Amino acid sequence: MGGFGEGTDQEMFLDPAIRNWVLFPITVIMVLVGVFRHQLTILMAGDPPKPDARDVRQAKALLRGQLLAQNNAYIPAAAFGERRRYLCRAYEEGEYLKNKASKDQGAANLMADPKAMEAMMDGMKKQMMGIVPQTLIMGWIQFFFSGFIVIKLPFPLGLRFKQMLQSGIMTPNMDVRWVSSLSWYFLNLFGLRGVFALILGGDNAADGTRDMAAMGSMGAAGAAQPQDYHKLFLGMKDSLAITYHEWDLATVEQRVLVKYGKQARVFGAGRRGT
Amino acid sequence: MSNAVQLLAEIRQSSERRPFEVLKLAEPLLGSGGGLGTGADAWLAYEQVFVAAIDDGEMELARAVLGRLHKRFGAGSQRVKRLAGMFNEAAGHAAEAKRMYGEMLAADETNVLASKRLIAMLKAQGQLGEATAQLVAYLDTHGNDFEAWLELSALYLRQQLYPQAAFCVEEAILQQPANHYFHLCYAEINYTMGALDVALKEFLRVVELSTDNVRGFYGVRLTADRILEAKRRPKKEQPAWADAAPQPATLERLSELATERLLSVYGAAGAAPKRAAEAWLQQS
Repeated sequence: MGGFGEGTDQEMFLDPAIRNWVLFPITVIMVLVGVFRHQLTILMAGDPPKPDARDVRQAKALLRGQLLAQNNAYIPAAAFGERRRYLCRAYEEGEYLKNKASKDQGAANLMADPKAMEAMMDGMKKQMMGIVPQTLIMGWIQFFFSGFIVIKLPFPLGLRFKQMLQSGIMTPNMDVRWVSSLSWYFLNLFGLRGVFALILGGDNAADGTRDMAAMGSMGAAGAAQPQDYHKLFLGMKDSLAITYHEWDLATVEQRVLVKYGKQARVFGAGRRGT
Repeated sequence: MSNAVQLLAEIRQSSERRPFEVLKLAEPLLGSGGGLGTGADAWLAYEQVFVAAIDDGEMELARAVLGRLHKRFGAGSQRVKRLAGMFNEAAGHAAEAKRMYGEMLAADETNVLASKRLIAMLKAQGQLGEATAQLVAYLDTHGNDFEAWLELSALYLRQQLYPQAAFCVEEAILQQPANHYFHLCYAEINYTMGALDVALKEFLRVVELSTDNVRGFYGVRLTADRILEAKRRPKKEQPAWADAAPQPATLERLSELATERLLSVYGAAGAAPKRAAEAWLQQS
């Protein structure tokens, strides 16, 4: 019998009861909790928020300005001038704003918008549902199976994997191929995604890791900052005001003659060519 | 059998309105007791068959299909409700249909399909003024719906309000500048209004975007000739845009080009069409 940690095969046997009563139960329970979570999310997700026509109108008005700024070359100068005059005035007066009265109050009271609050609460609810069951399972494993070796990997691994595969047991010399119960939990946590995709479909809510990622980014980015449309409108007004209009069709006669081979291409005649 | 299901799906995806073919494909499937395919797609096919049945006036079939959809999705489904409204429309119960669409809008005021059905009903009843007003209100909210802009343009045209119609087509052009059909509509409206300079440029844009577009070249030919004619008049009688229009030499070349291309297109179609085109081009 060689000394531990000298790279020789360690003669150690696991009781089959460990396989039957620790290894499999952890996996099965994690799958079941995932499925349960998925169903619970479906149950708890309220109706999608009722859309408000004024929201749509506000967003579409901005889109109209963008289109005008982008494609103004394709309509005659008179048509462009008319639209620019109208849209600039409407933007300035907050014609399309959802709450016309609040246009001067700025972003301070955006939190007061009940819909934004509701969306935020919804996100919180989902995250809580992700974290609570995972914490419980982890506590359960820590409590009952702390220090258990549950499985031996059939291939050798480097020392670096020790932290990943043997968390929860303090044995500096044991071969890295032995996996501890807590590590088995983590492997399942990250590895069951494919299984869930298989049994619940791709867009499922069973996977716990996504919520953890969301948790990390939440503090930094903040939950989708509501837009201050008044500012956006004013910005769009400015960019429309400085838009230089040049009708794309000013030289279309030459371009058509060139296209149908009636005229040699003249430099400067066809701005866009054919 | 699966072939017919596939064909139905293809027609559905191209969003063509071919009720006779749809019914011809679907009737054996329905008659054999089987359904229209399996899974979620089957319900799309039922919706398609329902609309086709209404188009074709087969109210019994429509009623049966609607009943099946109703049983599956229940009274709460807005989509089935719209179909029920359409059934009422087709059966002549306009008031009932209107009430249903009103309910849908009360449940969700951004329901595009319900608003469009209401406007279409008004149009079908010949209440053009009311339909126009509602469509304008709709576009005030959904400003990026180019199909609605084209519809509004058509409504204005039926009321001979050409500048308004032109405005609507401009909106459509802003959204899809490379669609030659929009330019064609715009050119023809301008031609009708007498703004020949704009009309000529837009017709030219059509033939630039769509090679050998016959309707576009007819327009080029007509417009170029009429501008030439206007330019030959004494200075005082010329319309205001005559100075901005291209030089007579350019106009003549454009007219020649249009004639040549038209003859070439019709020549490819055979001798008889070519002779007819020649005769027409000569006399005008």
